[in-house]
Amino acid sequence: MPSYELALVLRQLPRPELISVIKRTAEAIFDKGGIIRKFENLGTRALPFKVSEHGVVHREATHFTITFDTAPTKLSDLKEEFGRDIDIIRRYIFKVEEPEDYECTLHEEMLPPAYRKDVQELIDIAKRKQKPKYNYNSGLDYYPFQK
Amino acid sequence: MLRAGCQLFNPSTVAAAKTGSNNFALEFVRWRRKPRWLPVAKSKVFRVPERKKQSEEERTELMRLHNNYKTQLRSVRQYLREEVVRQQETSTADHIVFTPEQEEAEFQRCLEVNAAWNAQIAKEREVRLAKEREEKVAYIQERIEAGKLRAEEQRERADQRIRHEIEQSKTFITRDNLDAAIETALANPVDHNYALDLEGNMLRGRTTQSLTS
Repeated sequence: MPSYELALVLRQLPRPELISVIKRTAEAIFDKGGIIRKFENLGTRALPFKVSEHGVVHREATHFTITFDTAPTKLSDLKEEFGRDIDIIRRYIFKVEEPEDYECTLHEEMLPPAYRKDVQELIDIAKRKQKPKYNYNSGLDYYPFQK
Repeated sequence: MLRAGCQLFNPSTVAAAKTGSNNFALEFVRWRRKPRWLPVAKSKVFRVPERKKQSEEERTELMRLHNNYKTQLRSVRQYLREEVVRQQETSTADHIVFTPEQEEAEFQRCLEVNAAWNAQIAKEREVRLAKEREEKVAYIQERIEAGKLRAEEQRERADQRIRHEIEQSKTFITRDNLDAAIETALANPVDHNYALDLEGNMLRGRTTQSLTS
């Protein structure tokens, strides 16, 4: 089962009700045969803009994420169920990707152009494309080829 | 007509007009009376052109000339044919004449040469086929080894992933510890925001006051 992250934007609620909303959401995931890996509370903050959902205008909200595993076929059911919950303002499900491993090459990139490897490759290509040229100081006092 | 009218009269023009050719030996058939692909006119469909009258004397004379020509040509051809046949029977210029014994011996020699060639080629072919077989066996063996190695690596990766997941499963949230997990999460809000300063220090949190400290 792939890992997903559910980002919830919840209505401003007193603590017991907030707990019950999260519990309801978690139970829904369990009912669909999912596994919950992690809860994260991102705090209660003002929304960037006013949001009208389920007939109510919201200006502040609690942000909460749930990392869980479930079958991809169950996602639409989960979305539908969370869409019906009037305490949830916004719900997004993201797939958790393996973190990309990369090396920092800033030192090479900060070198002067002549020392950079990619620039040296470009110069090599240009040298390969150059035609052989006649040397004028080779002893002949005339140009031996057709001009 | 127009051209003749506007030109000075000279004999060559008359001659050209008589022979149907002009000074440039060019004859255009482009602007004829009607295009080539049109059928015969309806009024001319059933017209039968009259045959030229030929007198009896003229006919017999032409027949005599024709017969003479045909007879002479036939006699020349017959003479040439007989000469060729005679030449073929008497001359041995383009082939060697053998007695039946010699012919049989020559045939046997050819057979021997052919058999020797076949034997030599068969030897070379066997060597080549053996080499190819060996190469193929080696290639297949190598692929089998590589496949085994690949499968082994894949199984190893899968085992590692499973071990990792089993290790992780201890921290999974179940129905039993759901309440406690929610309590913990609500008690510990996290903030993934951070800022970098010029020294490369990471300042975590959106409300961190680094300048004042």
